[in-house]
Amino acid sequence: MGGGGGSDVKNAVWMRALIMAGMILGFAVVSYVGLGVVVADMKHHTWEDEEYHYKEAKSEWQEAVDAGEIQSDDKNADLYKAKEEAHHHEIDAHLSYLTYRVAGLAILFVGIIFTAFLVISGIMNSSRPDEHHDDHHGHDDHEHHGSASPIVFSFGCLLFLLGFPDFADGLHGLMMGSAKGTIADLSVSMIGLTVVTVGIANWWREDLPFNGYGEQLATSDPFAGQHIRKAGIWVFLMSEVMVFATFFSSYLRMRTEWCTKWALDDGKCTLAEGESVVMTASDYLRPGGAAGTGDFWTMLPGAVNTFALIISSYTIVLALKVAKSHDYKVPKGILGNLMPTKKAAIRNYLIITLALGTMFIVLKLVEWSHLIAEGFTVGTEQGSIFYVATGAHGVHVFAGLLVMLYMIFKADTVEWDEENAQGVEYFGLYWHFVDLAWVVIFPAFYLY
Amino acid sequence: MGEHKLIMGKDIYFWNFIVLMLFTLFEVGAVFFEEWPGTDIPISLTTVWAILIVVGIVKGFGIGAFFMHLWDDPRIYLRVALFPTIFVLLMLWGIGLSNPEGVTGLPGWCTPNWDSLVTER
Repeated sequence: MGGGGGSDVKNAVWMRALIMAGMILGFAVVSYVGLGVVVADMKHHTWEDEEYHYKEAKSEWQEAVDAGEIQSDDKNADLYKAKEEAHHHEIDAHLSYLTYRVAGLAILFVGIIFTAFLVISGIMNSSRPDEHHDDHHGHDDHEHHGSASPIVFSFGCLLFLLGFPDFADGLHGLMMGSAKGTIADLSVSMIGLTVVTVGIANWWREDLPFNGYGEQLATSDPFAGQHIRKAGIWVFLMSEVMVFATFFSSYLRMRTEWCTKWALDDGKCTLAEGESVVMTASDYLRPGGAAGTGDFWTMLPGAVNTFALIISSYTIVLALKVAKSHDYKVPKGILGNLMPTKKAAIRNYLIITLALGTMFIVLKLVEWSHLIAEGFTVGTEQGSIFYVATGAHGVHVFAGLLVMLYMIFKADTVEWDEENAQGVEYFGLYWHFVDLAWVVIFPAFYLY
Repeated sequence: MGEHKLIMGKDIYFWNFIVLMLFTLFEVGAVFFEEWPGTDIPISLTTVWAILIVVGIVKGFGIGAFFMHLWDDPRIYLRVALFPTIFVLLMLWGIGLSNPEGVTGLPGWCTPNWDSLVTER
């Protein structure tokens, strides 16, 4: 972010972050109560009923087998068919319950984190005296405004990751109520998260007054004359390409050795007696997959997410286009009511992007819960690479959402315009990259 | 910036968005169908792979060239964007060579008689 100065931003403006946080938390709590409690409870009752029916059907079948009325391997027997049908209904009811419960919890979790960032940044920045800000952000176009915030942020990430194994164990223990989990296990990561939040809050404070003046230009080849921030984000993105290329190549390397149903059908491998095909995520999700669980509905979250990311890429391009426009024309019809001014248009396009990104995270978690319930866990090679690669992508989406929160806040306060729109452009590059990574991950992990 | 080039009254971003949506539909459709629509002919693994790769390339190009502005930006950004390709190709090469029978399965012109170079002890 910029670090340059320009527009006069009073610290009281930060209090608006608290209003934004309140709205987000309100929405998250209502969504959680609606989806995660009310609907999920109804679905839970249905699941219990179906479970009872399944147990009854199974017991009837078992009694018939024990009495010698039918053979245990007779799949044409009516009682066997009834038992299997009841089992399918029970599984469907369980997955339906998981959908609403996980969706509600995910929205609440994301909402709380969004709220925490906004509240901490709002309170930290609004509590500082105005004159402090004026002293440090002059209007000199040529002044270099270095920032320590990225270093603070990175140090926080380092601490968080150092403590993460204990953090994960401790959190799991505390949630399960076992004696193993202690608060001490969480300490290093929690300090890391606090440092991250402070770094981001300070970063936001430095960027908010930036109005485009003082953007630094590179003075030497190969980027001479280019904005340093733009060159920086491109180099950063290319390092990210390497991260995802590592996941992808690991997957390809393992995949070429796995005897999947597709490879078996194509004669690319054979199975020894007692061996079964290796099942990948796509076998659970794709219609016709080896697990036999895939249908239209299991593919739907991944497919919807793909469209959501593409639409969100377009909405952020629209936000940039409006920000850079000199003469904003109010669209006709409903869109005109939603975007009556340039300021509202940019803010609302960014809000749509945020909503689509949040939906992506929620659907991904719902899908994961279904896969785990079906038996596709992280404990296998194919599960491990799937969850690590798609999880790393999800983390990138989530990090993008946190930046987007700030973008919306700036759009609603200082405003983006043709002078400072590069902030939207550079963030847009990151968001498009996340979309691009999904272009590779989706077919490789979900479809193939 | 692509908003200055209009095609049928709409800017390049709009058309890029439409193309991306259509190709995504095509991509998902290729996996939803186990047989070619209207026939009994099964869709083979190779065909699905080919469709996914072609669609991926088109979508990648659309996002990179127009949404990320590489089409209009100075060429240095394109060069930066292509730089990791070298490493990605090296990785793919490594994957190929480390496959079971990856080396012994290579064509003859790829596998000269290295035994003649082994030091006799």
